[in-house]
Amino acid sequence: MSQVVNTLNGLLAWELTSIDQYTAHSEQYADWGFNKLYERISHEADDERGHAKLLIERILYLEGKPDMESRHALPNADNVPEMLSADLDLERKNATALKAAIELCEQHKDFVTRDMLVGILKDTEEDHAYWLRQQLGLINRLGLERYLQAMM
Amino acid sequence: MRGNSTVLAALNKILTRKLTTINQFFLHARMHKNWGFEQLNNKVYKASIDEMKHADKIIERILLLDGLPNLQELGKLYIGEEPGEMLKLDDKLQTEDINHIRQAIAVCESEHDFVSRKMLAEILEQQEEHQDWLDTQCSLIDTIGLENYLQQQL
Repeated sequence: MSQVVNTLNGLLAWELTSIDQYTAHSEQYADWGFNKLYERISHEADDERGHAKLLIERILYLEGKPDMESRHALPNADNVPEMLSADLDLERKNATALKAAIELCEQHKDFVTRDMLVGILKDTEEDHAYWLRQQLGLINRLGLERYLQAMM
Repeated sequence: MRGNSTVLAALNKILTRKLTTINQFFLHARMHKNWGFEQLNNKVYKASIDEMKHADKIIERILLLDGLPNLQELGKLYIGEEPGEMLKLDDKLQTEDINHIRQAIAVCESEHDFVSRKMLAEILEQQEEHQDWLDTQCSLIDTIGLENYLQQQL
């Protein structure tokens, strides 16, 4: 089981990084006056916190020790399109790590962990990454200023 | 009640047009949604459902007239690649639909099928309303520019 626990700790690092990044980005949006972006991204931070909670609970149940310290590097993004792209990049890396972890659970016949991870992957794909991709598409279609005006 | 074969043929032709419009509007609505234009999605999705209700009325009328509703045929879909083009193509399809319904109404009148005529006239009224909406959208795009228009459709 320790291999599964190590992998879950690897995923936890992604979730903790996401919480930090979304919290920082959402507050930055609020500071700039883009309240709609603030609401959406602070809601994403809450979702990621929910995912982290699931991972921590599962690691403890498997008698492992949750690693609350590890993080991935935060991006150096200082305008809205760069921040949205960085968030999308993060979701994609997180999804890749989740898929590898799901395969590992299957090998170890840990089907309950696998099921939990599929739930997280579904949120990542259908909610977070999809929404971010839509925003980047809208910026292309509307132009940045019009997009931002709609996000106030 | 045995219906007049000319009327039945006219009703089936309108049914084919309805089935075509349902599909075009439905796909366009979901394309708008995929790009994040939620308002266009709502409006066009509802128009697709309205077309389905029209198809339902025509099917029931054909059956009442002892005819066979033809659900096999589907006309050509005009599918656009971006929101402005899609609205124009919906307008084009709807305009053609209106012309066909007018012709079918004339057939019903000459064959003295006044109840089918009344049903088609009610459908025509809704079609004109929707076409009016499409015209307005195309005109807004010309007046305020596509980007400003789309900004209002999030």
